[in-house]
Parts: sequence; C-alpha cells; structure tokens
Amino acid sequence: MSPPSLPGAAWLTALAGLPKMGPARLLAISLVYEPAEAWQAVATGQVLRRPELVERMGPSPQVVAEGWQRAAARVDVEATWADHADISVAARGDAAYPAALVDDLEPPAVVFTRGAPVLDGTPRVAVVGTRRCTRYGFDVAGELGRELAAAGMQVVSGLALGIDGAAHQGALDAAAAPPVAVVGSGVDVVYPQRHRRLWEQIAAAGSILSECPLGTPPEAWRFPARNRIIAALADAVVVVESAGSGGSMYTVEEALARDRPVLAVPGSVQSRASAGTNKLLAEGAGVVRDANDVLAAMGLPQRPRRRARKDAAPRAGPAGAVLRALRAGPGTLDSLTSATGLALGPLSVAVAELEAAGWVSRHGLWLERTKPAR
Amino acid sequence: MSKLAVVSSATVLGVEGRAVRVEVHVGQGLPAFTIVGLPDAACREARDRVRAAIATSGLSWPLQRITVNLAPSSLRKVGGGLDLAIAIGVLVADDKVGAAAVTGMGFVGELGLDGTVQPVAGTVPLVDALDADVVVVARDSAEEARLVDRHVVRPVSTLTELVKALKGEEPWPEHPRPASPPGPPPVPDLTDVRGQPVARHALELAAAGGHNLLFVGPPGAGKTMLAQRLPGILPPLTPEEALLTTRVHSAAGLIRPGFGLVAAPPFRAPHHSSSMVSLVGGGTATMRPGELSLAAGGVLFLDELGEFQPSALDALRQPIEEGCVRVSRARATITLPARFLLVAAMNPCPCGQGGPGECTCTDTARLRYRRRLSAPLLDRFDLRVDVARPDVDELLRGRGGEPSATVRERVLAARARAAARGVTSNARLPAERLETEAPLTPGALTMIETSLRQGRLSARGLARIRRVALTVADLAGLEGPLRAEEIGQALALRQDPMPLDRAVA
Ligand SMILES: [Zn+2]
Repeated sequence: MSPPSLPGAAWLTALAGLPKMGPARLLAISLVYEPAEAWQAVATGQVLRRPELVERMGPSPQVVAEGWQRAAARVDVEATWADHADISVAARGDAAYPAALVDDLEPPAVVFTRGAPVLDGTPRVAVVGTRRCTRYGFDVAGELGRELAAAGMQVVSGLALGIDGAAHQGALDAAAAPPVAVVGSGVDVVYPQRHRRLWEQIAAAGSILSECPLGTPPEAWRFPARNRIIAALADAVVVVESAGSGGSMYTVEEALARDRPVLAVPGSVQSRASAGTNKLLAEGAGVVRDANDVLAAMGLPQRPRRRARKDAAPRAGPAGAVLRALRAGPGTLDSLTSATGLALGPLSVAVAELEAAGWVSRHGLWLERTKPAR
Repeated sequence: MSKLAVVSSATVLGVEGRAVRVEVHVGQGLPAFTIVGLPDAACREARDRVRAAIATSGLSWPLQRITVNLAPSSLRKVGGGLDLAIAIGVLVADDKVGAAAVTGMGFVGELGLDGTVQPVAGTVPLVDALDADVVVVARDSAEEARLVDRHVVRPVSTLTELVKALKGEEPWPEHPRPASPPGPPPVPDLTDVRGQPVARHALELAAAGGHNLLFVGPPGAGKTMLAQRLPGILPPLTPEEALLTTRVHSAAGLIRPGFGLVAAPPFRAPHHSSSMVSLVGGGTATMRPGELSLAAGGVLFLDELGEFQPSALDALRQPIEEGCVRVSRARATITLPARFLLVAAMNPCPCGQGGPGECTCTDTARLRYRRRLSAPLLDRFDLRVDVARPDVDELLRGRGGEPSATVRERVLAARARAAARGVTSNARLPAERLETEAPLTPGALTMIETSLRQGRLSARGLARIRRVALTVADLAGLEGPLRAEEIGQALALRQDPMPLDRAVA
C-alpha cells in the first residue's frame, strides 16, 4: 500500500499511464471517485460496478478493466510520482491547473507542464495548419507567430512539422510573449525528432503541455485529443494552410464547439494546401492577412504596420519573369521554361541568382517563391 | 588396331569463345565410351546424344573402347556445342569418314537423338574462336555464323546430310538464305514528344556527354517514352562495337534470324523484379551475359528505380565506374562488357505527386522511399530531371518536337569535340584534366563559389557539374571558358530530387 499522503495528482498520473486510459475515461473516473479511491477502484476492478463508467469503457468493459488491473499491479505509484518531480503536474482544482481549462467541455483530469506555467490573463492565439505546407504557408505562419508574440499574444500550437513549427519558431524569434506547445506524447518524448531543438527552446522560453505522463509515446489517437486542448487554451484559432481534412480541421471543430473565433489565411485557389482554409473563408471564417487582422478579430489594439522592405524583389529581366511565373504556385524547370519562354541557360542563371538571394527556395526539383530572411 | 582422330570445335564462357581440340581414340578393349578433359554435365551427356544420333542416322557404332579427350584440358567445356565434333571424330576414327575430309574444318552444333543438328547459343563467339577455313553449323545458326565473316559456312540440318557431304556422296546442302533481312525495328523518334523541353534537353545532354540520367515524375508523365528515344539519338556503333554487341547477344542466345549484326545501340529495360543473375549474368555453366552486358554500347533503362533490390542497385556501381562487370562462380571469374548509358525513372514519392502542397504522403513514408536510393548511387546520376505530365494544351496544339535525326547531328558534333580531347564522351574526362579542358569564366567561378558556400553544391559534385557544363557548351558549339549559363544549367539539372531534410524545417 502506498502512503495516503500522496497528492491527488500522483494517483491521477498513475491512472493516466494505464493502457486504454483516454482523457474521457480518466475524467469520468476522476468525477466519480477521489483520486486515491480512483486508483483503488481501478486496481481492484471495482470500476465495473459503476454503470456510468462502464458505459464509457467500450464494447468489452470487462477486458478493459482487467487490462487496467493487470497493469496497475505492476505500477509503483510513489516511484512514478517521484519520476515526475522535475515537471509541474496539476490535477483539476489544483492552483497550477490552467484556468482556461477548468470549465472546459472536456477538461484534462491532469495536466503535465514542462517550462513555465501557462500565464493567466494573457491573450492566447492558436496558429495551426498542415505538416505538408508550402513555402508560402511556412513563411506566413512564421510571420504571424513573430508579430503576434511581439504584440503580447501567447502563440499556441502543436509542435508538428510544417505550419506548427514555423509559428513556434516565429514566436520564439520575437522574444516577447512566451510560446505554448501542446503535445500528444509525454513532455519528455520529443516528436517529431526533427523538432528536438525547437522543443528545447520552447521548454526554455515558454511551456510545453500534455495530458500524458512522462514516457508516453506519440500514438495517433492522442493527436485529435491534443487538438481540443489547443482550441480550449486559445482565445482565437488561426489556420494558415490546410488541405481540408486532417488535424487542423479537428482543431477548428473543437474551437467552434467552444465559441472561439476561427480565422484563416487565404491561399491560391490552385494550391491543395489551401483548399481547407479557403473553404473556411467561404463559410465565413475571418480573413487573416497579417497579425493586425487577428488582433482586430479579438478586439485588441492593432500594431503599426511595418514599412515596406527596401530591397524589393527583382522585377525586370529573367529573374523578374521567374518570380512572376512562381506567383501562381510552385514550379519546376519545365513549367518555368514554358511560363517564361526563357531558354534553359538564362533561366538557370536567374534561378541560381534568386536562390542565392533567398527569393526562391527549393523542394527537390520544385521551386517556390519566398521572402529572404531578414 | 587402334586409331586417333582430331577435330576442331569451340566452347564459350561469358562472351568469349575458346578453340577446343576434340581427340577421339578408338582402340581394343571392352566396349566403352568416356569423355575426359573438364566437361560439364551438359557436355558429358554428349555421350548419349552422340551415340543415339549416330545410330538413328543409320551409321554403325564401333563396339570398341572409345575415349574422347577435350584439349586443352585446363579449359572447362560447357554445353552441347561439341556434340557434332565428337560424332565426326568417332566416325573418322572408325574409318567411316576419311581424315582428309575434315582437315581445315570446324564443327559447332548440338545433336538431337534423332540425328538432327541443333543451334547453340553463342554461335558468334564460337565461330570466331575457330581457326578453320570451313565451319559446319546448324542450319538455323548459319546466318549468325556468317556475321563473323571469316569462314566458309556450311549449314547442315542432320548428321546424315553432313556425312554424305563429307564423303562426297552428295553436294553440300544448299539452304536458301532468308530473303532480304527485314532490318531492325524502327527506333521511336523524339518528334513524338510534345512539350517537356527540359526532359528533351536532358536526353540530348545524356547522349552527347555520356551522362547518366534520372527522370523523376508522377506515373503517366511519359518517363519511359522519353527513355526509349535515347538510342535514336546516340551515335551508331563502330564496327568493333557492333561485333562486341553482337557477340554478347549471341552468347545470350538472343540473335534473331534475319536481323544481322546488332548495329544499333541496344535498349534494355529489365523489370524491377529481375533476379540478380538475369541482371548481372552468370548463373549458367556458360556464364551467360545478363542485362547489364546486353545493354553495353546502348541504354540500360531502370523504371521504378526505388523498387529494385538494394543488392541489384549495388551491382550497378562497378559497371558504371569501369564499364564491365565481374562474375564469379565456383571455378572461374570472368569479365563481361557492361559500358552502358544508365537512364532511370522513379516517382517523386509514394503518392506520386511530390510537389509542395500536393503530396499526401506521411513523412515516414517519404523518408522510407527516399532511403531506397543510396547517396553513392544518386551521386552517379549527373542529370536529374523532373518530368511533369505534359500540358493538355501542348498535346493538342501539337507542334511536334524536333526529330531525332536533327538532335543526333548535334550529338555527333559534340562527340567529335570529346574525341578531340581523347575521350569518347565528356563523362569519361579525368578530373585532373578539367582545369585545362573546362576552364571557367569569372562569372561561372562566382556562381560555383556561391553554390558551394550555400551548401547547394558539394565538392564531390563539382567535377561532375563541370563535365555536364562542358557538354552543354559542346552542344551549343561554344568555344572558350565555361560561362555562368553553362554552369547554371549543369547545377539546375543536378539537384537532389528528394532531399532528406525538407528545406523548410
Ligand atoms: Zn507524396
């Protein structure tokens, strides 16, 4: 028997680590029992006596309950709790539990936070989108992240590749309001690996949140659940690019269920990566051209617009023709030859110059228009 | 009494024929028939075929001790091509045929149990190895035997026919030559390709400079159609190359009657499920050449490159570097010719769309797909070109592309300039000669420096870039140092089609 002196969060941490213990089941159990009792009930199979829990345990509650019992028998609650000493673990009702989640539709029973606690009273904006973004979406997400953070918004996103990562990086670059990442694995399980550095930077400058205990692997079913927390934490949700299905659309639904304003960045009607965002706009989502559009939608004062860049993109000659051709979307050498009428020689020189100056970026054999980094 | 007969024949290993002296001794002792001198299994079975063929031809079998020695004894003899020589040897030693009648003659052919003479694979190298004035071959091998063009070729269809001619009882059979050969099938022409200017240009560069080419594009973009048009713009084979190519095809048993010498650059497109043996060669006792050798002098096209076994892709490296492939079996290592132009095609990613914002693959799927292509193999493709589905307007408006004949003129002119540098193509120009053969203008130098500094070009890629740029200049008929335009093209055509790290992260 573990000593009863353990806090409620310790029992919930142990419960959250059991197999097939999703957020909805954990919340239901935590509403029926006190935390220490909840552990007892799960470890002994008594949960099967509560019809309101059984109805949440899927088609074969017996199997689920036995799985919990078996797993619980191998868990040392006190040791598990000791493992979590370096991060913040807050049960609903604890002072450290994010205020924005307390009265949510589906609040996490327990929240694990690496880095600083999420600030209360600071406006938060979610900037989300597809992992398969275009350079355009990547640049806009970075710009929005930077500008919104500079305007004092906490930028919330999911630390995924593509739009999420760009928004986080932009927010970090602003070195202003701390960024917030909500992840679908344990806050110590870096996923995707390519974002290891970004992960550490956010933990140092802001917060990484999860409803999973340390060591939880990134399983596919956890990401939609993660998206509801993003929507719940944010005062507004901006979708930068989305193909029309997938994670960011789930975040949109969760935001609408919570009456959060949903905004979207318009894209080319020929770009598949903008199909979902353009559809949102057609259905009445707010238009985001820059951070000021977001601030206006939230009823916050706007920031002075930055003056146009001095070193404007080349307009004349082959380089100008290439940039004009790429305005419609990414292209290959073949499509650029047709679109510009240039011979391969001058075309290659123009592309090499634009690439060197940062006006064009490359994805394999594809070229995309971009903005040089400042 | 005992008697010895000596008859000339040959055996083949890989694509080389070797002369074999068939010595037959008929002497006193219990009736027996033994073959010595490193015969393989098929060759040992000659005993049964020869005995049956002689019997069914109405000739008597000597009931004596018969020993056949195949010399030189160090050489392994394979296949059934020695049957005919062994049978004639037995008949000469048994005084059924006069020894004088077979002087200066060579025999190549397998015997059927009914006494028919059957063709064997590798007639060209076999006949080429014969130091004789007259060669006797199966009727269906006659045309192939005449390609060597050094002997009087006597085609026979049965052992009886041959014996009667040797004894002077009947004239040598006149087997009518096939009417005029139909000629090789027409090579597809570049004029059928509409649009796709960059892919067309890449084909021309590949033909002119001997640069290996990788097409990347979605299914249905016409990658195969483009590759099939490459042989049509390659220089014709020289007479020596044609004979070597013919020899390879003969050794593989692929000479089709009526087509004569293989004079056009071959095009081979093995499927990705092909076995190692069928690609590399060997596997049979004769070490039959594989697809890599059959493509020698022409084009080896590997569609769906990523689907080939990693071991098969590894096996490409030696031929690409050395122009030959070495095959080892239990007793021998032989070298087969394999100097081909490699053209490969693959989808940009599993879903085939590839483009930013278009691709629907997961990161893991893309990564796994990309890893099938090893860095050393990718490095050997000087030209990597995106092939998009042709524009519908382009297809319908239908100005046909430049015909292959026009393109080939430029290719030949460029090859002539390479020949003046002492190489057959720029791809084989040694790196140490690039400083003198491919000097750079200041503009070109700046472009290279920038690309190196920004990590868009590796030091390893530099020499290959210069060779391709030199081919660009050769095709355009330019003199003097390479300019930014040529270097820029070479750079633009050598990008990693599927970088492991997306540029955006
Ligand atoms: Zn794809």
